[in-house]
Amino acid sequence: MSAHLRSIDAAALAAMPILEPFAPAAAEVRRASDLTGEVRVLTCGSVDDGKSTLIGRLLWDASDLFEDQREAVERHGRTVAGGQHFDYSLLVDGLVAEREQGITIDIAWRYFDSADRRFVIIDSPGHEQYTRNMASGASHADVAVMLIDARHGIKTQTRRHAALLDLFGVRTVVLAVNKMDLVGFDESCFRTIAREFEELAVGFAFDAAVAIPVSAVGGDNVAQASAAMAWYAGPTLLDVIRGARSAESRRQAPFRMPVQMVLRDGQDFRGLAGTITSGTLAVGDVIADVVSGQTARVARIATMGGDLDQAVAGAAVAIVASKDLDLSRGAVLSGSTHQARRAVRLEARLVWLSETPFDIDRGYLVRTATDLVPLTALAITARLDLASLARIDTETCGVNDIVEASMELGRPTAVDSFADVPGTGTILIVDAIDGSTVAGGVVGSVHETASKNAGTALVIDRALLASGLCHDLGDTIEDRIEFERRARELALLFQRTGVRVRLELG
Amino acid sequence: MSHVQTHLDILEAEAIHIFREAAAQFRKPVLMYSIGKDSTVLLHLARKAFWPARLPFPLLHIDTTWKFREMIEFRDAQAASLGLDLIVHTNQDGIARGITPFDHSPSVYTDVMKTQALKAALYKHGFDAAFGGARRDEEASRAKERIFSFRAAGHRWDPRRQRPEMWSLLNGRLGPGETARVFPMSNWTEKDVWRYIAREGLDVVPLYFAGERPTVVRDGQLIVVNDDRIQLRPGETITRRRVRFRTLGCWPLTAAVVSSADTLDSVVAETLAATSSERRGRLIDHDQTGAMERKKQEGYF
Ligand SMILES: Nc1nc2c(ncn2[C@@H]2O[C@H](COP(=O)(O)OP(=O)(O)O)[C@@H](O)[C@H]2O)c(=O)[nH]1
Repeated sequence: MSAHLRSIDAAALAAMPILEPFAPAAAEVRRASDLTGEVRVLTCGSVDDGKSTLIGRLLWDASDLFEDQREAVERHGRTVAGGQHFDYSLLVDGLVAEREQGITIDIAWRYFDSADRRFVIIDSPGHEQYTRNMASGASHADVAVMLIDARHGIKTQTRRHAALLDLFGVRTVVLAVNKMDLVGFDESCFRTIAREFEELAVGFAFDAAVAIPVSAVGGDNVAQASAAMAWYAGPTLLDVIRGARSAESRRQAPFRMPVQMVLRDGQDFRGLAGTITSGTLAVGDVIADVVSGQTARVARIATMGGDLDQAVAGAAVAIVASKDLDLSRGAVLSGSTHQARRAVRLEARLVWLSETPFDIDRGYLVRTATDLVPLTALAITARLDLASLARIDTETCGVNDIVEASMELGRPTAVDSFADVPGTGTILIVDAIDGSTVAGGVVGSVHETASKNAGTALVIDRALLASGLCHDLGDTIEDRIEFERRARELALLFQRTGVRVRLELG
Repeated sequence: MSHVQTHLDILEAEAIHIFREAAAQFRKPVLMYSIGKDSTVLLHLARKAFWPARLPFPLLHIDTTWKFREMIEFRDAQAASLGLDLIVHTNQDGIARGITPFDHSPSVYTDVMKTQALKAALYKHGFDAAFGGARRDEEASRAKERIFSFRAAGHRWDPRRQRPEMWSLLNGRLGPGETARVFPMSNWTEKDVWRYIAREGLDVVPLYFAGERPTVVRDGQLIVVNDDRIQLRPGETITRRRVRFRTLGCWPLTAAVVSSADTLDSVVAETLAATSSERRGRLIDHDQTGAMERKKQEGYF
């Protein structure tokens, strides 16, 4: 800074945010864009178990927090645990309404960079009345941290959480046994809880389930090994979440790409645009649509940055086929083997998200990766008690219920069973009238034929529509989309009046 | 091709996926273009999503008439070189009523010249969805924002009525009277934006780079004097300082920082080593506590 500046406004300048002149080494700049992927971490626990403190402490110890955020915590001056530590939970605040109520009612997203990895913290409330929030949080997570208070041990809530994580596909779970300082860092107290957790976890399909003794306020076993708990030789919380990787397993699953749209440049280019949800794809590979039975080979994998020879799960691309495929949004491309399933009926496990309970007379649609299909029938068959894992027969369900459901589709679409191919094994149930998302879930078994009693449905086929309601429509893309739209709306109107409808537009 | 996906690869692919989902599901979307670095990245991602097709929606810029001169020049140059369909909208009623950032509080000014202007423009053109560059890391109330964020009639945002989002399934079916905001960069951070600009070699408004500019110190913040509409308070003097911006908006309301970073590399490096979060430079956020959340409920982007 030049001398004359200082003489003008010394006091004001001192109060200003000043970035020091900074000349980085070239190598440093290049490294900046090279974080090797990201890990999405779901945190769940009961109010007061110390979740905000734990997340705050993780940010404090292991992340690139801004200096003003650190200062805010220090300046606030609030201390916890007998005045020994700053209140790190101040780093984790939420909506005004929630702050006033003193509870977190929705999932919140936070981002931080460690030296080599992006971490995304998805913070979800734990109480039973927020099961839906936790389920949606779990759907985005690679790893989950379940927090408990060492003084209270494993509770029913812990069982419910584990069941929910398993149901929605989280494969790495950590049990953070917090407030170890309040039990004198006692080994046997932790061992008892850890054993109970192991017994609980064997009932689920987790790849890894680890219990860690921590003290969130002191940072023990959060990012650094604890001196107070030298008897613990296992990984820190940071070690486990750093190691969680789900990208690999997505890559190893069979190839799938749900088609989002068809891109044209007004000349010869016709690309099937979408994100590869699993597997890998190379130029020359077979691509197949199981619903229409069409196949072709990959001629180009096009992106604005240049054509690719090969693309992997997670990549957003446009595929040019070796010959014209009559496909549009909603199709799912598979390879030559291990193909997606052509579904006309399916069973699924759902979490009911809407405040409005299930109503058998209401029209519902099913949203797959990119398709939207009217349901000719949706039936709830059982409710799952998460704590005991018992199935309770029922035909109704409301908000936060986890249920088993079976559904008949108005026309065939391609999906997978979640257990086989998670990326194309998930669905949403959508209210046909107000468009809201009423449920989300994972596909269980997939059936290629309609159930026996579906024969009573009114069949609306292409010829019927073409001769009447849609006689003004031709064969352009727009007209075909409009044709489908009218068919769907018609089916919904019938359904609203209690008539079961089956669309046959093939 | 390498199989390693960096976090920028992941974020880019996710944004492309969101753009395509929205374009396929909404009837008439528009891209909110505010000229800054986030809009620059947003536009680039949109072009990637639909390449080699043209963007299937126009861009909308809400011009308050108080943007930096350099921003408007940059906007027009981008529109020309990329062949963009650009709509510029100004609240003429606000101009007629003499609403300025000097004569009115930031909240009144923002409401009239930005919020009301945006609502009017969306209504006038019948847009049912608007893409924005907002990120969840910007501010506490945004940490809970959805990717498809629904607005009831009147563009009101109700935190209780937001749809749960699961996996990468995006439900864009609108209820009666509803419109949507779509945030393809929800999971980006300020650092990612700069890393990506560097990686892709994107042009940004020159104000992001340090230069000697005429400044005044007001309320502890550095304001760059962009034209002769400045109203100096007693004791204020205009001084030239080497400064740059971390965020761009209306010039009387946007604070600069002292810096000598005058290349993309040094700006990226400075951002990665920064000691304060970027919204410090935006005066509207300091106006009242929970300001942003209230603004959202009123329909501010
Ligand atoms: N002694 C002790 N207190 C803790 C620890 N972690 C959290 N707390 C305290 O427990 C209370 C609840 O913590 P908080 O993070 O707000 O819990 P949340 O409701 O789960 O987010 C606060 O008073 C914290 O200071 C810990 O490891 N040891």
